[in-house]
Amino acid sequence: MVESEMLLRKRDGRVEAYDREKLRLSLTAAALATVSEEFRGDSARENILSVLGVAQTDELPDFIRGAYVRQTLGDELYDTIDFVVELIETALAERDEIITTAELSEIVHNALVDAGQTSILREYVMRATSRARAIENAGALMKAVSELTVLNSANSNAKRENANVNGETAMGTMLQYGATASKAFALNNLIPEHISEAHREGSIHIHDLDFYSLTTTCTQIDLEKLFEEGFDTGHGFIRTPTSIESYSALTCIVIQSNQNEQHGGQSIPALDHYLEKGVAKTLATEIAELCRLSYELKGHITSEEATQMAKEIRKTLFEYIQANRFLKTDNGRAYAKMIVERYAPECVDNFDTIWDSAVRRTERRTQQAMESLVHNLNSLHARAGAQIPFSSINFGTATSWEGRLVSFMFLEAVDAGLGKGETPIFPISIFKMKKGINVDPEDPNYDLFKKSIRTTAKRMYPNFSNLDAPFNLAVYRAGNVATEAAYMGCRTRVMTDINGPDEVTRRGNLSFTTINLPRIALTTKNLDEFYQKLDQMLELVLEQLLSRLEIVARRRVANMPFLMGQHIWRGSEGLAYDDSVMPALKHGTLSIGFAGLAETLVALTGHHHGESDEAQELGLEIIRYMRKFCDDKTKELSLNVTLLATPAESACGRFLQLDRKEFGVIPGVTDREYYTNSFHVPVWYKTNARHKVEIEAPYHALTNAGHISYLELDGAAIDNLDAVEDLVMLMYNKGCGYFAVSHAIDHDPVCGYTGYIGDGPCPRCGRMEFEEVPLSRVTQCK
Amino acid sequence: MQTVGKGVGFHRIRRVTGYLTGDVKFMNNAKQAEVRERVKHVTPVSKQPQAKVV
Repeated sequence: MVESEMLLRKRDGRVEAYDREKLRLSLTAAALATVSEEFRGDSARENILSVLGVAQTDELPDFIRGAYVRQTLGDELYDTIDFVVELIETALAERDEIITTAELSEIVHNALVDAGQTSILREYVMRATSRARAIENAGALMKAVSELTVLNSANSNAKRENANVNGETAMGTMLQYGATASKAFALNNLIPEHISEAHREGSIHIHDLDFYSLTTTCTQIDLEKLFEEGFDTGHGFIRTPTSIESYSALTCIVIQSNQNEQHGGQSIPALDHYLEKGVAKTLATEIAELCRLSYELKGHITSEEATQMAKEIRKTLFEYIQANRFLKTDNGRAYAKMIVERYAPECVDNFDTIWDSAVRRTERRTQQAMESLVHNLNSLHARAGAQIPFSSINFGTATSWEGRLVSFMFLEAVDAGLGKGETPIFPISIFKMKKGINVDPEDPNYDLFKKSIRTTAKRMYPNFSNLDAPFNLAVYRAGNVATEAAYMGCRTRVMTDINGPDEVTRRGNLSFTTINLPRIALTTKNLDEFYQKLDQMLELVLEQLLSRLEIVARRRVANMPFLMGQHIWRGSEGLAYDDSVMPALKHGTLSIGFAGLAETLVALTGHHHGESDEAQELGLEIIRYMRKFCDDKTKELSLNVTLLATPAESACGRFLQLDRKEFGVIPGVTDREYYTNSFHVPVWYKTNARHKVEIEAPYHALTNAGHISYLELDGAAIDNLDAVEDLVMLMYNKGCGYFAVSHAIDHDPVCGYTGYIGDGPCPRCGRMEFEEVPLSRVTQCK
Repeated sequence: MQTVGKGVGFHRIRRVTGYLTGDVKFMNNAKQAEVRERVKHVTPVSKQPQAKVV
């Protein structure tokens, strides 16, 4: 018959001889599944082996023909299998010498139908599908790995999924291999099938799939606690720092350590407050040092004695700082003078000079410390060298001399840029605006606000946050820095806590998943249906977020030695190394995001919210509806379920592509290469600043997991500081929570110019892009 | 005459969301398209510090 000459081409391309016994085996397995529960599901093969007591797989064919199988199936069904095999082989005899797996499946399919064995057919198909999927997954994985290996990032979108991970380097590629494999693992093995399918088809986008079971998104770090208590990065204990340089260096180390345990980023909620004591201690040290120097120069005491004297001054002033936090106050100065009089009486007549000199030296040292902070945060590496830590620094509300100096010098450093004048990409700096502190001309930090405007006109940082926006003001308590809303990175906000005080510190987002809103509009016929589908989608995403939390909650303190072991997270105190991290995670947020509100409104009403009041009304109604869902679930579950205006850096392109494949190109909905970010007015829509802000501001109040608005300024922002300030004040006054002014920053690496170049020549050296200029011209202008 | 800069591009630093990227070319395709299509919301008269927002 056919058996000897027939060849079978497998899905992966390999060719092997047709094997009758193998076919009989899979048909028998399918038949067994129709009569007995034990043989159903993925582990059927193992069950067959164990039930039949078969030691070796190659003994299986004999047992398949044995008494147990005949007894279980009954004579009739047992004989039917022989009959079906005969039918199949008859059909095979009419075929070419080589057939494919797909063709064989079709023949088996027809034979089972002809034999009237539809229930066996169903079981057979189920097994074949799951086998095919496994093979397909392995194939897709290898294809993805191959793309990551051979293509350069200009030709590979996958390598640019995140604009700030370098996919070109060895470590970057290694990270992407890992990400690709773990994404496949999560989708195929960890996530319930109906949810995986919703992700694959683009109804939802599960962010950070690669870290699905491993960790959480981000943390708002209470640096002061770490400085005061000391901490351990895993290779040794770090004591409380005593100089502004050490405070700065440790800030970077904390950020780096944190990044290695999180898939998102980390935010410092109040750098100026956290570094105040570092500045005060530096001032104290300078006073002590100047006294020592003064004594040594006079030669009245030995150098050892002078050093001992300086130590006493420093120690006493440190105690004062520990109790009073600041040194450069009227009381602090009087106290310092008293101490100098006590330990270094010969200096007391020159105290004013010593004090002024110490202040100047402290300012200089703080400047250098902030410069190194900015340089470090652009050169440190995390995640095996693949990525710079995603750092955010909030500042601007400390009104002490010490805190103001930190803010001032930090802005100086951002303004100065890196070694060749490059714009720092990290940290994301966020100036916190608060009436009475820095918004009005009479406010103590108004000068810092003005400086922030100048800096953002040059560097696009800082961004601005608004502590006076009603939803942020509601949690603000004067005197408690932890109640000042802080933002993280692209837009994340973690504020109220159903399981603890409403403080930003020592908490973060656990994970977030985005709903493809336009697809809901495209698959429903009217608003009622839209809301029904939206409800289903909200429930689906919540189910996914909770199932992910359940998996991540199985992590133990040992898996997060810094985050939990060093008690970065609230609630991790008192946990043992083998304890679940859930007591800490309950303070985090589970966020439901959305993309493409603009396109959704076009699909529903024919207009987006930038062009129609009616669309805006509906837009607000939809987002309010989603927020209510989150609030209700927060109460019901005692978990912080929050609504996010998703940044959608990669999701906005993926959703669009999948929807275009399914629904074609629909004007105003799928006719661009991306969906509009969250609630934004479309980027291409021509409108003025005021209108855009008035449309977007009300959504800030609804999206408690985070939001951002930005306005685009044409031309050279640095020449138009008033315009930049007007834009910032506009967004502040309209109640936006987090916002920024965008403009083009071009940089000529040849002469170091930073500013607006556009299509023209570099304004400094006159070079056109990609062209050459005489070296002498570059040297002249440097 | 010694020259410099042949083949060297300008860096186009642009906003991704809350954060920036060192050059547009690091962005994914969809995001690059978005950046290309962004319109300006205010065009102050250059060198005119008094320029007012609409």
